[in-house]
Amino acid sequence: MRRDNIVLRSLAQIGDCALFLLRILAAIPRSLRHVRETVRQLWFVGAMSLIIIMVCGLFVGMVLGLQLYDVLSIFGGTSATGTVVAIAIYRELGPVVTALLFAGRAGTSITAEIGLMRATDQIAAMEMMAVDPIAYVAVPRFLAGVIAMPLLCCVFCALGIFGGHLVGVSWLGIDNGTFWSNMTASVELVKDVINGVLWKSVVFGTVVSLIAVFQGYTTPPTSEGVAYATTRTVVASSIAILALDFVLTAFLM
Amino acid sequence: MSQRQSYAVGTGLFIVLGFAALGYLATQTTSVANTSRGPSYTVEAHFANIGQLKERAPVKVAGVRIGQVQSIVLDPGKETADVKLSIDQRYNQIPDDSVATIFTSGLLGDQYVGVQYGHSKNPVAAGGTLALTRPAQQLEEMLGKFFGAGGVADNLSGSYLVKARFSNIGALSVGAPVKMAGVAIGSVQSIQADPVKLDAEVTLAIDKKYSQIPDDSAAAVFTSGLIGTQYVAIQPGGSPDMLKNGDEMVLTQSAMQIEDLIGKFLVSGSSTDAKKDADNGKAGAGDKH
Repeated sequence: MRRDNIVLRSLAQIGDCALFLLRILAAIPRSLRHVRETVRQLWFVGAMSLIIIMVCGLFVGMVLGLQLYDVLSIFGGTSATGTVVAIAIYRELGPVVTALLFAGRAGTSITAEIGLMRATDQIAAMEMMAVDPIAYVAVPRFLAGVIAMPLLCCVFCALGIFGGHLVGVSWLGIDNGTFWSNMTASVELVKDVINGVLWKSVVFGTVVSLIAVFQGYTTPPTSEGVAYATTRTVVASSIAILALDFVLTAFLM
Repeated sequence: MSQRQSYAVGTGLFIVLGFAALGYLATQTTSVANTSRGPSYTVEAHFANIGQLKERAPVKVAGVRIGQVQSIVLDPGKETADVKLSIDQRYNQIPDDSVATIFTSGLLGDQYVGVQYGHSKNPVAAGGTLALTRPAQQLEEMLGKFFGAGGVADNLSGSYLVKARFSNIGALSVGAPVKMAGVAIGSVQSIQADPVKLDAEVTLAIDKKYSQIPDDSAAAVFTSGLIGTQYVAIQPGGSPDMLKNGDEMVLTQSAMQIEDLIGKFLVSGSSTDAKKDADNGKAGAGDKH
């Protein structure tokens, strides 16, 4: 098939990506032997991303608190700051910003690592030694991303709430009790935390990890190819996250 | 091996931290935090209107939370809402003639059930009913009372309809009050643009009590205050004949547009200023002489 048309090329990429997802899912039982490798990847993509996620969550919460206080004070409704911070973070900012950061922090490193393995023929060597590279290289990284993303998102949201509290209560002087009671009165477990935080972050984690592993695995084995693949991971992940966010919101509302 | 161990420990810590954050979000920042724990008993109350009351809304006595709304269902066959209140067991001395009222916390806040104690010696039993309730106050009703305009529906039985034509009604809306001498006597029933005469045909529903309005009275669209809502003011005329159902008021005065007013003010203001200056000048000159 000629792949000179950009539409055809994109469609082919999406199709290849979907087939790759099936190969990964089929390889999950085989990769159970490599649980330690999954744990190691979880350390790399999850635990090592904690700092950036926590700092960003804190600042997102703080700036939300500041902006909302400013707008809500027009209506004399500053006591609703906590509610709006929580809802904005749970439903949108938490999952989306975490996923974008995750794509930049962990997705790129996955792509670059696998791409370099491909470029230096390590993957070919594994095949020679009858080690399934999908089960040993791709699946642990994919699973680690799927598991790490919701956890990171929860940490992000908690720090975001803390940041909003810091600005709203400690700095701008909203009453502490009002802040929490308004929040707990309006934020719902299923609608906001489960549908917003958990579902979205699981989907985003799956998509980002899939794109990262796929781009690394199919990269041309040159240094230029690895560079392009890394860039494509960030671009494709960002577009997929924002587009899927709209679709998910429409379905979960 | 030791390196692998440290991965495992770090990863475990990361997972624990993630789940701790999830637990914190789920239990401390959502309505789950409001779920009362410990033994409770259920009391029923029937409300004519629950407004925006939701399940798990707090039940308060003297502003202190004593329980929550367990369920809200419409009483089958009746037009009342059957609200089940789950009240903490330690508050089991609520008199059975207490009044349950639906309040709103603040202007924009959520609604809750407030219980005001009665004087009965008998506490309401588990599964019992609080017979005395007050429904939620609807903002529309309160505003209606405040502005003195009954809703359109209130007037339909006891009102008669009068038409008035305006070349401009400004921001007048259906349901706006009709006032005479500042007292509301009816409301605007409908507003339609006349495709032929190119003006607005306003139907006024006026209370039957006020049937002694002369048929040469004038209708004008006024604004209450600077940014208030607009209403129709009726200025009585001197005719011996009275307005009847279906009559049309001939004398009307359209809404003042703020642009027109400012325009007039600027033009006339400058001219009077000029005149005043001239007078002052003359007076000054006269003084000097």
